[in-house]
Amino acid sequence: MDYILHVFILALIYSIFAMSLNLELGYAGLYNFGHVAFFGMGAYVSALLSRSGIPVPGAMLCAMAAAGIAGALLAVPALRVTGDYFGIATLVFAEMFRLVCLNERWLTKGPMGLPGIPRPAWIAPGVDGLPGYLLLTAVATAGVFLFVRQLTRSPFGRSLKVIREDEHIAQAFGKNVLLLKIKSIAAGSVLAGLAGALWAHYISYISPADFTLTETILVVLCVVLGGRGTNWGPVLGAFAVIFFGEAVRFLPIPHELHRYVAPLQGMVYGGILVLIVLKLPDGMIPEHRRPGA
Amino acid sequence: MSYYLQLLLNGVIAGSVYALFAVGLTLVYGVFRFINFSHGELITWGAYLTLMFSSPPFSWPLYLSAAPAMILTAMIGFSQDFFIYRPLRRGNPITLLIASIGLSYMLRNAVRFVWGSDLKTFDLPPSRGIELGGYYVTETQLLMLAAAVAFLAILYLLLTRTLLGKSLRATADNLELAAIMGISMSRVSAAVWGLASVFAAAGGILLALDTNLEPAMGATNLIKAFAAVLLGGAGNVWGALLGGLFIGIAENLGVAFFSPGYKDFVSFGLIFLLLLFRPHGIFGLLAGVR
Repeated sequence: MDYILHVFILALIYSIFAMSLNLELGYAGLYNFGHVAFFGMGAYVSALLSRSGIPVPGAMLCAMAAAGIAGALLAVPALRVTGDYFGIATLVFAEMFRLVCLNERWLTKGPMGLPGIPRPAWIAPGVDGLPGYLLLTAVATAGVFLFVRQLTRSPFGRSLKVIREDEHIAQAFGKNVLLLKIKSIAAGSVLAGLAGALWAHYISYISPADFTLTETILVVLCVVLGGRGTNWGPVLGAFAVIFFGEAVRFLPIPHELHRYVAPLQGMVYGGILVLIVLKLPDGMIPEHRRPGA
Repeated sequence: MSYYLQLLLNGVIAGSVYALFAVGLTLVYGVFRFINFSHGELITWGAYLTLMFSSPPFSWPLYLSAAPAMILTAMIGFSQDFFIYRPLRRGNPITLLIASIGLSYMLRNAVRFVWGSDLKTFDLPPSRGIELGGYYVTETQLLMLAAAVAFLAILYLLLTRTLLGKSLRATADNLELAAIMGISMSRVSAAVWGLASVFAAAGGILLALDTNLEPAMGATNLIKAFAAVLLGGAGNVWGALLGGLFIGIAENLGVAFFSPGYKDFVSFGLIFLLLLFRPHGIFGLLAGVR
């Protein structure tokens, strides 16, 4: 039972993470392959602040703000390039972030990571706190879902979609394309920071090894599998990816073959990503487009 | 002073291997206009397949194992193109990038699946250090340098002296026009993937001789190759070569000035700055032979 709660908490945190990426990748068409940096930034800022005695909610808010500011600051130079070059620039940014976390030991303790990250005061530590933490993540996920839905239905969201389809049209309609893109990256980063902070306070231990290319691939998979540019797609994708990952543990595999499980899981994730791009480019929930449009 | 010269020498040796990686990556970019993220996995597979042929049940000597390993790596390269990249070629380059990221993750985990995640080596006797006028190199490092020079010389002759090389350069210049002029695209595409895979495999084997084999070796070095490609201007073979040398030297000299933990930061920072300020590379003036 506790394990099921644990899986749901993970899936909800990844839902927030995936929805935040969808804002950039799905709506604005910005292929950010370094989104995990903002997840990591949220996790590290919140962990460091709460370890130094600041109450968890305050630390989380600071983490979101820090991730958002970092996102906007990255966006300004990175948006000078487009398409696949933007993807590589962000990917490299995430690797640079990881290297800094690995090397600035005075702040992050390097590869040893940060242990003992507290949970919010009203949630018990350990297994007893699982229902409480599930409630917290569920409320956060619902909030993020409603926020993103509202945002994407607003003129702002529609402008982002126009930019995705054709920047010149957006420009011709008098939209400030650069500003809109920066806003979408900042908003995506704030939400990724929230997901990272929720994750850090839940897992209670973080290290640079948690924020690698693997996590980037996982979250991109969540969004692409679920359906880019839809509200439910990333949530569905996150649940599918996390549930699959956890279900693998229950396969009746003899002990001596356990070494093969994790690589096989990785092969399946990578293979699914390739297959979707080839066979199901719209994902499980295709974006609704007006016929003839 | 001699300390810096020693670092420079190490840099040239490392850089010659980076150049082998970068040449293939830039060829693929030049012809097909997309960043092949799974290029790194060709490096890894080349090295691991050599390990396979040099250990039981084959137990062939290393120089004999390298040949079938390179051929098999080229097969992986061809299949990548045939099953994944060719069907996607008409679409957005970003879908190709996503597919290649997925493929790279799949192939890397396949290495872990077959050979495990532990560090492996080619089980060679430790290479002797040789003193050359006060500087130290190992026999392996000399071999690396010689092999890299040989491979790049072959590439030079191929690109400049043969009809295939000419059609490759024409295709890199303008794919549609080259096709209209009757250049066989399937031959060009086979040549590009063959060259990219063999060069990646050769680099991977040389690197593994000097250090060791691990599943992530390709992904780590892909970043360096990519920095080299950008430095030389994407699609520019000679630019990639110089870029590779530059990265190797910059990394090794950098160790003298900041903590070795930040060694990889050199290529990351370079990629970032180049993308933002000089997306066409700084060796762009040397675009003579593309």
